Amino acid sequence: MNRFSFVLRRPIQLIPVLLGISVITFLLLQMTPGDPVRLMLGPKASQETIEFVRARYGLDQPVPVQYFYYVLNCLRGDFGQSIAFRGPVSGVIVARIAPTVFLILYGLVISLLLTFALAVTAARQRGRWIDHLIRLVCVAGVGVPSYFVGLLLIMGFCLRLKIFPVSGYGPTFINNLWHLFLPALTIGIGVTPILARNLRATFIQQLDKDYAIACRSRGLPESYIFSRHVFWNSLLPTVNLLGVVVAFLIGGTVVVENVFNIPGLGNLLIRGVLTHDQFVVQAVALLLAVGVVISNFAVDILTAILDPRVEL
Amino acid sequence: MDRRVFLKSAAFAGFSIATLPATLLRANADGSKILRMGYGSEVLTLDPIKTTYGADILIQGMMYARLLHANPDRTEVGPGLAESWDIADDGKTYTFHLREAKFSDGSPITAEDVAFSWNRMRFQKDSAYAAPFQPLTRIEAKDAKTVVMTLDRKFTPFLTLTEIWNTGIVPKAAVEKMGDDAFAKAPVTSGPFKFVELKPGDRVVLGRNEHYYREGEPKIDGVEFRYVPDDNTRVSMLQAGELDVCLGVPAPRMAELKAAGFRADPEPSSTTYDMLINHSAEPFNDLKFCQAVSYGIDRTAINAAVTLGLGTPASSVMSPTLDYFDKSLPVIARDVEKAKALLAESGKTGASFELIQNAGSADEEKAAVLIQAQLAEVGITVNIAKIDSTQAWTRLADGEYQAEMNWWYNETRDPDNALRWCVWGAGDNKSYYTRYNNETVNKLIDEASGEADNAKRAKLYAQIQKIVVDEVAQVALYHPTWLNAYAPSVKGLVLNVGLQFSSIGGASLD
Repeated sequence: MNRFSFVLRRPIQLIPVLLGISVITFLLLQMTPGDPVRLMLGPKASQETIEFVRARYGLDQPVPVQYFYYVLNCLRGDFGQSIAFRGPVSGVIVARIAPTVFLILYGLVISLLLTFALAVTAARQRGRWIDHLIRLVCVAGVGVPSYFVGLLLIMGFCLRLKIFPVSGYGPTFINNLWHLFLPALTIGIGVTPILARNLRATFIQQLDKDYAIACRSRGLPESYIFSRHVFWNSLLPTVNLLGVVVAFLIGGTVVVENVFNIPGLGNLLIRGVLTHDQFVVQAVALLLAVGVVISNFAVDILTAILDPRVEL
Repeated sequence: MDRRVFLKSAAFAGFSIATLPATLLRANADGSKILRMGYGSEVLTLDPIKTTYGADILIQGMMYARLLHANPDRTEVGPGLAESWDIADDGKTYTFHLREAKFSDGSPITAEDVAFSWNRMRFQKDSAYAAPFQPLTRIEAKDAKTVVMTLDRKFTPFLTLTEIWNTGIVPKAAVEKMGDDAFAKAPVTSGPFKFVELKPGDRVVLGRNEHYYREGEPKIDGVEFRYVPDDNTRVSMLQAGELDVCLGVPAPRMAELKAAGFRADPEPSSTTYDMLINHSAEPFNDLKFCQAVSYGIDRTAINAAVTLGLGTPASSVMSPTLDYFDKSLPVIARDVEKAKALLAESGKTGASFELIQNAGSADEEKAAVLIQAQLAEVGITVNIAKIDSTQAWTRLADGEYQAEMNWWYNETRDPDNALRWCVWGAGDNKSYYTRYNNETVNKLIDEASGEADNAKRAKLYAQIQKIVVDEVAQVALYHPTWLNAYAPSVKGLVLNVGLQFSSIGGASLD
């Protein structure tokens, strides 16, 4: 199958995925006990007021009817009304999408830079102390929870050294590079050990392959063999792993956004789940699913570019 | 350029940008005096009638003027938008005379606006907190500067109700033109600050209202009210200079902040933390059992563990900051033997109950675990159920619970509102959903609210407090304080017992 039809086919595959997610999130929220209207109006609201507001949001309708209207509205581009924010969900999400996307991409860039630096150093210094140290750091890094890393970074860089701010999201690109450096680094520290161990192992595997030995026997310098052959041949497994890691990264932002107080989708999702803000949770879940599918799609394309033998 | 030189320059530039001194990019870098506050809950609506939520109440208190205002130390209510007021001899008609004042858009505040705001709060179907205003039947503008309110009975606490946040005056023309939802997102205000920006999930920015009726106020240029859900992050932001005020400091960190030079003294609050019990369900439908539980609990120990001694153990359902609090009531001392005897009398030896606790609250968890251990010694098994707050509220309201950790605060100094909320069985909320209903108590509360003589009122409220403690209407545990910390540059700002910064107009920032 050619690449063009692959690109067309992918969005169509997305439809059943989104439908499935919408049904599951819808039913899960329906099954969770608790009345979101009561929580939002507070304990001092009268029963009459609660019934009035429930009817306004259509929450007094039977579940299948609610779902039918939900899907119908989604097709029209209306993702429903947030009970907590008393407004369209789309507006609530648009206001928070930029910090999350920025954070994920920034975290990805930092983790890739760290991954390459660590894996190349470890593989090229195989068996020496620096290799052992990097492996040790990677093992430790996998086990440390992000909120702990985040708090340590805040104590060190924000309170002691006063280099970075504790929180927030700035108005400009440069300002954001500064504000989101520590959160992105926290995400990077969470993801890098997984990628770096994988990449180091692949580097070493490739360095032992026949073609590398043949190169060496012809007297080619080690750095040349590594940068021209081994490096490129090793990328594929890590790129595939990256697809999985991006999903992990999207989940990781939930914690990091909370620790560094970033007004993003992660914060919104936690809030939505805790307050049963149904349409917000559904919309964010759908959006995150689209994010994961798109990242997998990008990985497939990248794989095909890196290795012409791969068929899409 | 040589590649190495380029890479070194790029690395240096990147590092320089990343390490720009924090002060350069701060909100106050332009010299304006913006007070930055951090709070653990998010502002959801700026419409004063649509909420009973802490963050909304705090911000709306700074945005909307009310007819009367409490003085900063909250000993009495004094003139606000109403310069003076008359009460008819029968105590049923209140006439308010308005001063010359303007909204933040420069339009005059008229009696029409006041009547519109009050009618909306009292009679609009989605008004979240109309309950305290039940005796109020009619609100009308008599002329441009006079508002007349009519009650169906004599009701002494009425004047204190006129300072509750949801009576904030909104402009009739703007609300009608914009519609409720749009107004709630970008309102025209009547208080010391005007609305500038609402960033959902992040902050609300307020600026100086140049048209505010009090001369020379506010002294600061604005307020940035930031949503910082994580307690420790909020404290870190105060320490790093990113906040001037940190609201809701965890008790163990107060001493540390005080030692570091912040103003971190507990501020009195009208809050009561309690264990609500369902009087209409097993095993709490038996008075002896309720009393056994009450005597089995060590309130002093719970207060010490949860507030680290910054609060006070409860002797009454009313907070000591309310008028007519009965100081002569002792804190019930734990008496295991007496509790065991009462339990035996109730015939419920070996009984157990489920204690619901909000999954997100560390304080509730501490208190619940202590109650569990203390009642185990009495012979009562407590099964703690941690559930999310939405579910907890729903089960409470529907009466599908046995016991639940909870808290409530009172907006006014007058105890009528508090008691109608927590022990008045004839109310819509069935004594804060405990289903406690004592006809004598209900009558005494009504009688006290119609009494104008202070000494007589004090006696009636003392009588009510004694009955509800004896009958364990709810297990009041302790009265916490507001735990806030202020940067040394913040002067003259205090949070009053009713969760309002009444003093913010006069507060300054060095």
